[in-house]
Amino acid sequence: MSNKLIDLKFKVNGKEVELKVNPKTLLLEVLREELKLTGTRQSCEVSACGACTVNIDGKAARACSILAVQLNGHEVVTIEGVADGKTLHPIQEKMVSHGAIECGWCTSGMVMSARALLLENLKPTRDDIKKALQGNLCADSGYVKYVEAIEMAAEVMQGNK
Amino acid sequence: MKDFNYSAPKTVKEAISLLGSLQGEVKVLCGGQSMLVLMKQGMLAPEHIVDIKGISELDYIRFSEEKGLTIGALATHGAVEKSPIVKEKYPVLAEMEDNLAVVQTRTWGTIGGNVCHGDPAADPPAVFIALSSKYKLMGKKERIVNAEDFYKDLLEVDLEHGELLVEVQVPPMPANSGVAQEKLMVQKGDMGIVGAAAFVTVNPSTGICEDARIVLTNVASIPFRAKGSEKVLIGKKIDEKLLEEAGQIASEEVDPPADTHGSEEYRRDMARVFLKRATAKALQRAQQKN
Amino acid sequence: MEEIKNKYSILGKRIPRVDAPLKVQGQAKYAADYEMAGMLWGKIKRAPYAHAIIKSIDTSKAEMLPGVKGIVTGKDFGGFKWGWQGYTRDETPLAVDRVKYMYEGVAAVAAIDKDIAEEACDLIDVEYEELPAVFDPFEAMKEGAPLLHPERKTNILVEYHWDFGNVDKAFDESYLVMEETFQTPKSAKGYLEPPSVLAWWEHDTLHYVGAKGSPYMIWRILGRAFDLPLSKVRVISPIIGCDFGGTKNDGHALDFSACLLAKKTGRPVKIVYSQWEELTTCLRRHSMAVRCKMGMTRDGYLTGLYTNCVADGGAYARMSVVSMYLANGFNTVPYKLENFRTDTWCVYTNNPIAAAMRGHGRYHTQYAMDGVMDMMAKKLGIDPLELRIKNSIPNPKPGETYYTVNQVRIGSCGVKECLEKSGELFGWDGYKKENKVDGPIARGAGVSASGFLSGARLTGHNSCSAVVRINEDGAVNVLTGATDVGMGSDTAMCMIAAEVLGLDMSDMEIKRVDTAYTYPDPGSYGSRVTIYAGEATMHAAEEAKQQILSAAAKEMDVAPDELDIKNRRIFMKSDETRFMPWLQAVRLACYQGNGNVIVGKGVSRRGVKPAVQAFEKGIGDTGTNYGFAAQINEVEVDLETGVARCTERSSMGDDCGFPLNPTIVETQGIGGSYHQGIACGLYEEFIMENGNTLNPNFVDYKRPRVYEAPFPKFHHAITQDPFGPYGVKECSEATTSTGAPAVISAIYDATGVMIKNMPATPEKIWRALKEKKAQENK
Repeated sequence: MSNKLIDLKFKVNGKEVELKVNPKTLLLEVLREELKLTGTRQSCEVSACGACTVNIDGKAARACSILAVQLNGHEVVTIEGVADGKTLHPIQEKMVSHGAIECGWCTSGMVMSARALLLENLKPTRDDIKKALQGNLCADSGYVKYVEAIEMAAEVMQGNK
Repeated sequence: MKDFNYSAPKTVKEAISLLGSLQGEVKVLCGGQSMLVLMKQGMLAPEHIVDIKGISELDYIRFSEEKGLTIGALATHGAVEKSPIVKEKYPVLAEMEDNLAVVQTRTWGTIGGNVCHGDPAADPPAVFIALSSKYKLMGKKERIVNAEDFYKDLLEVDLEHGELLVEVQVPPMPANSGVAQEKLMVQKGDMGIVGAAAFVTVNPSTGICEDARIVLTNVASIPFRAKGSEKVLIGKKIDEKLLEEAGQIASEEVDPPADTHGSEEYRRDMARVFLKRATAKALQRAQQKN
Repeated sequence: MEEIKNKYSILGKRIPRVDAPLKVQGQAKYAADYEMAGMLWGKIKRAPYAHAIIKSIDTSKAEMLPGVKGIVTGKDFGGFKWGWQGYTRDETPLAVDRVKYMYEGVAAVAAIDKDIAEEACDLIDVEYEELPAVFDPFEAMKEGAPLLHPERKTNILVEYHWDFGNVDKAFDESYLVMEETFQTPKSAKGYLEPPSVLAWWEHDTLHYVGAKGSPYMIWRILGRAFDLPLSKVRVISPIIGCDFGGTKNDGHALDFSACLLAKKTGRPVKIVYSQWEELTTCLRRHSMAVRCKMGMTRDGYLTGLYTNCVADGGAYARMSVVSMYLANGFNTVPYKLENFRTDTWCVYTNNPIAAAMRGHGRYHTQYAMDGVMDMMAKKLGIDPLELRIKNSIPNPKPGETYYTVNQVRIGSCGVKECLEKSGELFGWDGYKKENKVDGPIARGAGVSASGFLSGARLTGHNSCSAVVRINEDGAVNVLTGATDVGMGSDTAMCMIAAEVLGLDMSDMEIKRVDTAYTYPDPGSYGSRVTIYAGEATMHAAEEAKQQILSAAAKEMDVAPDELDIKNRRIFMKSDETRFMPWLQAVRLACYQGNGNVIVGKGVSRRGVKPAVQAFEKGIGDTGTNYGFAAQINEVEVDLETGVARCTERSSMGDDCGFPLNPTIVETQGIGGSYHQGIACGLYEEFIMENGNTLNPNFVDYKRPRVYEAPFPKFHHAITQDPFGPYGVKECSEATTSTGAPAVISAIYDATGVMIKNMPATPEKIWRALKEKKAQENK
C-alpha cells in the first residue's frame, strides 16, 4: 500500500504550520510528536476521556479521534495557546486559585473545553458548564472545583469581578 | 492503525466518480468519530479512505414548510443541536443531540457518518425512522430510500458500490402529532442500553391515536420498528393500560443482545419501559398541540 | 479554627498549589513527554492465556524485521524475582516458563518506531500448552485446585486469624445479631495517565524516568534486577498523573523491559502502555467477599463484630499481605468496640494481579459494616446517623489517648463532629420529612463514617528525610524523596519551609525526586507523605534557619535565640525595629558558612519502629495517627430501570487534624476521593470471564463524569493531633472509604433494597427490586 504523504496546512496557536503527514496520522500525533506541543495528552484511546481536547475553529474537539489531514485550512488552539504570554487566561487563573487542579493530567482538556464554552456563551449556567465538561474525565480532583472555577472565570470575563 | 490510500474530494461529483472507480475495501470518512476508534483498535482496516469532510456543499440544514427539514450529510451533530429551526420545528432532534455522546463528539461528528455507520444502538437512525425520514443517496444515479429500509444488519446499510449518502430528509410534522425520544443511560451521553423514539398522531376531537411509529434501539441488529406495539395503539385512545400492553408486546418481540451493560432479560423489560416512556411523552406532546 | 489559623502566616491558608501554573498551561512534563536523541520505542508481547506453559519462544522472524533493534524474553533477566518482602518474591519481569494471568508479558521489543515495535511483537512465535486455571478464590482454596505457585503447595497467599475480647459472649448477650455477606468488585486504579517509562544507560549508570509514585521502590528493585549498587541507579520523577497505589508504585513489565532493552541496544528506550494494557494487565483493586456479623444492644450500641474475608489476590502476591492486614486492622475505629474477631484469607487465582488502592483494604470491610449497620438500625428503629453518632469514639482530651481493643492508639478523633456537622449541612432532620417519591423516581439519603491510618509504619524503613537549601540569593530549594503524585504534598512542603523560615511562597522551589540527589523515602502510600516528609521538612527548615540566625546574631552582636524571622527580616524578638534584611543574613551565612550555600537537614523517625505483631495478631498501632471522615449523600433511583445517580445534595466532614491548606484538603475530599467512592458504589467494576477483562476501556468501564458529581458542603473538624507535625493527619483515604457505603445506604433508604454486591448497576437494582416485589407478593 502506498502511504503517500499528504500536505497539511493549518493554523496552530495563531501560527501557520505546513507539513507533510501520513494520512493515518492523528491530529494528536502531529501536535505531540511533530510540533512538540505535549500539553495535549494521550490517554484513553477510545474517545472517552477528553484529555486530548483542543479547540478547532473555537469548538472543543478530541485530537485523538481526528485525522490530521482533515485540519487543512482550519485553526487549532491547544493548551499552549491559551495564556496571553505570561498572563494566564481567566479560566486558567481561576482553576489555579480555586484549587481545581491536582495531578493535572486532565487539566489541559478541561481548560480547552471551558474555553470553547466561554467563547460561545459568556453567561453559562451551571448546567451549561456541566455539558461542556461532560466529555472530560478526571481521576483525582473531581469536577466540583473545575465547575466553580469556570463559573468564576465567566464572571471575570463579563467584567463583574 | 494500518496504512491506507487517502483521497479528499471537494465536490459530490468528484467523490462519486472516485468511489465508483476504487477497487478493494473503501470507506467513506466524514467526522470519523465512530470509525477511527474501530480503525485504531484494528477492527477496521480499509484499503481506501475517501474523506468527504471537505465537501462543503453537503454542510447544511434547511427547512421549508412543504418539504420539511433537509440535513446535509456533513452537518455536524453540534450544528443540528444548536440550529434554531431544528429547535423550533423538530425539538426532538435537538433533545436527541443533547444526549448524543459529548460535546467533543458533536463538534466533529456528522449526521451522515452516524446514520451510515449502521449501529443499532445509535439514536439518529431511530428518530429519523420514527419521523418517516428518507435518505438521499448519490451514485451513478440518485436514489431515495426510506430510512427504515436502509438498515440491513449490524453495521450493514443499503449503500451500493460507488454510492454516497448526501442528505437526510425529514418530512413536515403533521398537525396533531407528537414525537419523543428516551433512552436508558447510566450516565448522560451514553449509548442507550435500550432506547425508544416514538411518533404519534392523535385526533383532536376523538382523542384517538391515528398513527404511531415506534422505533427501539439496541434491541436487535438494526433499529427495531415495534410494529406489534404500534398496532395495539392505532385506532384507540391511549391510556396507561394500553401503553403497558404495547410495552409488553415490545418486550416479547425484540431480540436484544446481552453484554456487560445488560442481560437480554433486562433489555427486554427496558424495551417495555422505554417504549412506554417515549410513547407517553409523544402522546402528551400531540395532545398539547391540539 | 480562627485561633489556629492566626497562629501561622502561611500554614492553614488557602495558598495556590506550586505546580498548578505549570499544569494549567500544559507545561508540566509527564513521563510520556520525555524523549531523547536516538530513542527507540518498546512494546510488550503478551500471552493470550490465563494459565499456560511457555514451551518455546521464537524471535527470529521479528529480529529480521527492518527497524527492530532488540528483543528480550523472560529468561534474559537471569532468574530475577521481586516482591514486597523477601518472602513474597514470586514475580519475574516477563513470564519465564509459565504465564499465570491473561496478557502477562512474555517478551519485549525495541524498534525505531511504535508501528514496527508492534509489528515485531506480532512476529514473535510463542508456543503454549494451556493449563487448567482457577478464577474464583473460593474454588482456588479447595484441595486439588490448579496451583498458581506449585512450590507453595497451596493457593492461599496469606491468612490472618485475630481475636479480641469475647465475641461469642458479646453476640450471646446482644439484643440483635445480624450476619450478611457483601462482595466488592475488581476495579481499576482509574488514573488516566498510562504507565510510561524512558530508560537509558549513561556512565555505567541506569537512568530511569518513569511515572512512579514511589520512585525509591523501583530504585531498589532495579538495583537488584540489574545487580547494580544503588549509587548506579538513577530514578528521576516526572510529574505524575495520579497513582492511588499499584502499578505506579511498584514495577511492571514495561519498567524492566525498557531498562534491559536499553542495555542491550545501547540506546534510550521508551515504553508507553496503552490504556488497554493498563486495564487488562496492570494492578487493580482486590475483589473481596466480606461476611460480617454484628451485635447490638436494644439501644443500638455495638457489642461485637466478626468478619470473614476472602479476597482474590490474582496471580502474584504484590502487597496483598498488607491489603489483608488493612482490611481489618482498624475495624475497631471509628466506633467503640470491645469484641472483635476476624478470619481473613487472600488467595492466588489466574486473574490479573490485585494490589493497594486508596482506602487500602479498609474500603471492603467498611462497605460490609456500614451495610449491616444500616440494616440493624432499620430493625431497631434507630436513625442511622444517630446510631453512628452514639457509637463514635470520643475525641480524647488534650494529653490523653484512646486505645482500641487491638491497641490502636488514637490521639485525636473528630468522627463525632464530622457526623454531626455532616447531618447539619445536609439538613438530615428535615430531610426525613420530605416527600421523596416523584413518579418512578425515589430519593433517599445515606451516611457513612470512617477512620484511616496516616503515616503507615508497617515495616522498619519508613523514615523520611528532607533538605532545605538556601542559595546565596535567598531563594530556597526544598528537596525530599517524597513524591507528589497529585495530592499536593509539594505545596505542603513549600508551605512548611516558608512558614519556618518566615518567607513567602515565591521564595520556595521544590524539584522532583532524583535518587541521585534526594534522600530515600519509601514512597507515596499509606497516607504518609505529609506526616513524615512534612516533619522532615520542618526540621530541615529549622536547621537552616538556625544557621541564618547564628550568622545574623554574630553580626548584630546578640544571641541567636533572641532572633526570629518574619517577612524576610531577621529581627530581635524583644525589639522588632532591630532587624537585618533576609538577603544580608543569607549572604553572611552562606559566605561564612559551609561553602556558599546553607543546607539544613531534617528527618522524621516516627515510622522507624513497626508494630511487630500487627500482621500476625492484629495488635498494635500501624499508623502514626488516624484521620476520620463522615459523609452523607442523596441518590435518585429510577424504580423502573434501576438507574441510581447521586444528586448535588451532599455533605462531608473531614478530620485531618489541621488542614495545612484547606483548599487542597477540600479538593482531596469533595473531589477525587468522593468520586472514587461513589464510583465504586455505582459504576466501577471489571467484568471478568475466565480471567479475561471484558470491559478494558473507559467507554464500557464506567466512571463518574461531571453530571454524576455531588457538590458537597464541607466541614473541617480541627482536632490538632498530638502525633503529626502541626497536628496534621491524613485526608482522603477515610473519605474514599465512606463514599461507596454512603451511596449504597442511600439506595437502601430510597428503595428498601440493600445492594450487597456493588457497584449498584441499574440491572442489579432492577433485579433486587423485582425480588423484593416478589417477596412482598408472597
